[in-house]
Amino acid sequence: MRILIVEDEPDLLAGLARALREEGYAVDTAANGEDGFYKAESYDYDAIVLDVMLPKLDGWEILKCLRQIKKTPVLMLTARDQMRDRVKGLDTGADDYVVKPFDLEEIFARLRALIRRSADKTSNEIQIGDVKINTAARNVFLENKPVELTAREYALVEFLVLHRGEVVTRTQLYEHLFDENDSTLSNLLDVHVSNIRKKLGAEFIVTRRGHGYCIA
Amino acid sequence: MKPFKSIKWRLQLWYGLILVAVLTGFGFTAYQLERGKIYRQIDDELMRRLSVLAVALHPPAHEHERMGDPPFGGPPPERDMSEGLPDDHFRPQNNFHPPAELAGLFDSADPRKFYFIISFREGGEPVCSTNAPAEEARTDFQNSNAADHPPDPNFLHSATAQTVGLNREIIQQLSPGVTVRVGCTTAPALKEFHLLLAKLAGIGAVILFFGLAGGWWLVASALKPISTIGTTATKISAGDLSQRISIAETESELGQLAAVLNSTFARLETAFVQQKQFASDAAHELRTPVSVILTQTQTALNREREAADYKQTIEACQRAAQRMRKLIESLLELTRFDAGQEILNRVHFDFSKTISDCAELVRPLADERNVKIISELSPLEITGDSERLAQVVTNLLTNAIQYNKSSGEVRVKLDSQNHLVVLKISDTGHGISPADLPRVFERFYRTDKSRTGGGNTGLGLSICKAIIEAHGGTIEVSSEENVGTAFTVRLPV
Repeated sequence: MRILIVEDEPDLLAGLARALREEGYAVDTAANGEDGFYKAESYDYDAIVLDVMLPKLDGWEILKCLRQIKKTPVLMLTARDQMRDRVKGLDTGADDYVVKPFDLEEIFARLRALIRRSADKTSNEIQIGDVKINTAARNVFLENKPVELTAREYALVEFLVLHRGEVVTRTQLYEHLFDENDSTLSNLLDVHVSNIRKKLGAEFIVTRRGHGYCIA
Repeated sequence: MKPFKSIKWRLQLWYGLILVAVLTGFGFTAYQLERGKIYRQIDDELMRRLSVLAVALHPPAHEHERMGDPPFGGPPPERDMSEGLPDDHFRPQNNFHPPAELAGLFDSADPRKFYFIISFREGGEPVCSTNAPAEEARTDFQNSNAADHPPDPNFLHSATAQTVGLNREIIQQLSPGVTVRVGCTTAPALKEFHLLLAKLAGIGAVILFFGLAGGWWLVASALKPISTIGTTATKISAGDLSQRISIAETESELGQLAAVLNSTFARLETAFVQQKQFASDAAHELRTPVSVILTQTQTALNREREAADYKQTIEACQRAAQRMRKLIESLLELTRFDAGQEILNRVHFDFSKTISDCAELVRPLADERNVKIISELSPLEITGDSERLAQVVTNLLTNAIQYNKSSGEVRVKLDSQNHLVVLKISDTGHGISPADLPRVFERFYRTDKSRTGGGNTGLGLSICKAIIEAHGGTIEVSSEENVGTAFTVRLPV
């Protein structure tokens, strides 16, 4: 899952990025509105965390422009907690709204919910054959026994599960699992897929040669 | 509201009473005048009859012959008899018969019932007309004051009018021992008086009614603004400061009061909104640093970390805390200026020296941005708080450098004009848009809508303004987009 954070306070931006990376997300950052909008329209993020008060281009304007071209889920961060600000945010096309100061757990939960909803899934638990995935607890069970996955491995599984039945291209996987700072070595993906197959069974991920990967 | 405690009722009662008193006074006077007039008419009628009667009793034909003698004084001479006048005419007895002309005047068919009674001192039955009241005919002659009157040649003038029961009478002593009373009933007059009274009372009641009704309307419409003011004030005290008194007429005293109150309410609302905005802005300003601390600490505590990681977290928290400290200090500073509690340490000092010190202080920042500071300072002594004024100069210089273009210029000029010290700090930056320009001194107002920019609290210019105004000076800003911005400070020497 790849997330964009647009926030002008450097310490908050760094803190959020670190926390979300540790949660297994690929995180891109932008410190001003212009940069944020450029990134938001260039990549298909799974979610965007957008501050309202930004230099150059504020959160409302980014949201308004973005909504004309993309449906990317947007979580607004703001210091304004008045009702009309919340209403304005939701009316402009924000999918959710968090008022500063916030708890990280709340941001995590809201982002999970946003991503799940955008994938048309209503439950946190997804059962595929013998494999059960809990997207809230971020863990995976094989025949009801917990399986240890690295954050990156889990992210790969989750992305494929949320796009179950579709063929997911390697480019898509790179775009959603690695952020702008990762070196995109082409065999890194193959290594992750191979490790997951070892842990969850060889048939769990099907390779469509020349196209990408798929979970049936 | 108790009826007699309310102004409306008290006023109503007051002019009600006044009106009643005035109407009663006028009515009484009018009644008296009319009554007097009617009595005079009656008396005139009676006098006319009396004179006719007197003539009948004592024909004027003899008057010239009897000049010098008191008329009717003494027994009549024999000559009178020879003149053909009957003796009983001169000294009327019971058998006096009024002549025909008198009969018409004392006609019993007349509703006024004119009558006469002629009585004699020597006794004997008085001579009465047919209308004469029976009991009056026997009134004791001795009681009549006419008896003591000296004989009067001009007898009609000594006539006495009096009201006896329902009758009006005129008593006249025609000759010693002969008293004539002419009277009539006052019943028709009394009826007229009653009618008059009724009319006056009716007119009075109508006037009173219209007076009270008009007064009520006037007072009610005059006091209506008060209740409007009251209602509005109640709503305002309940917390709705946007309420205003709606009064159509603004010329009356209450209309003017309402206008004054409205402008007071407006100022109150503005102050209240500003205060609320200030508090809410201050809270918002604190939200971001608190978010930093929460995010950083919660991430750090999620798992075991390396020492360098913790250090990074602690440094971020320190920066957030310092930002909050700066914000809190600025807020307190502004609050003290607002409350007039900030004490200025006034000294006499060379302002140009302070300015060049400030310029030196910000030179590293200017060098970093490749901005040139050009000073044009003439030595000027002023009285003021040198530290506070240095704070203003540093703030303005920092702004001028930060919002300048790369390799731009900052010009600092100090001179005096009209007993004022004028400091002008201008830059060659991007300028401030006309929409932002009037608001740059507002608290927390930032032209770029973001928090970053060298730890900018958004209070710097507000504090500058507060300091300059505490010195009795002014600060102004002018700007042209893409040309530059100039701040002008004027201080009294």
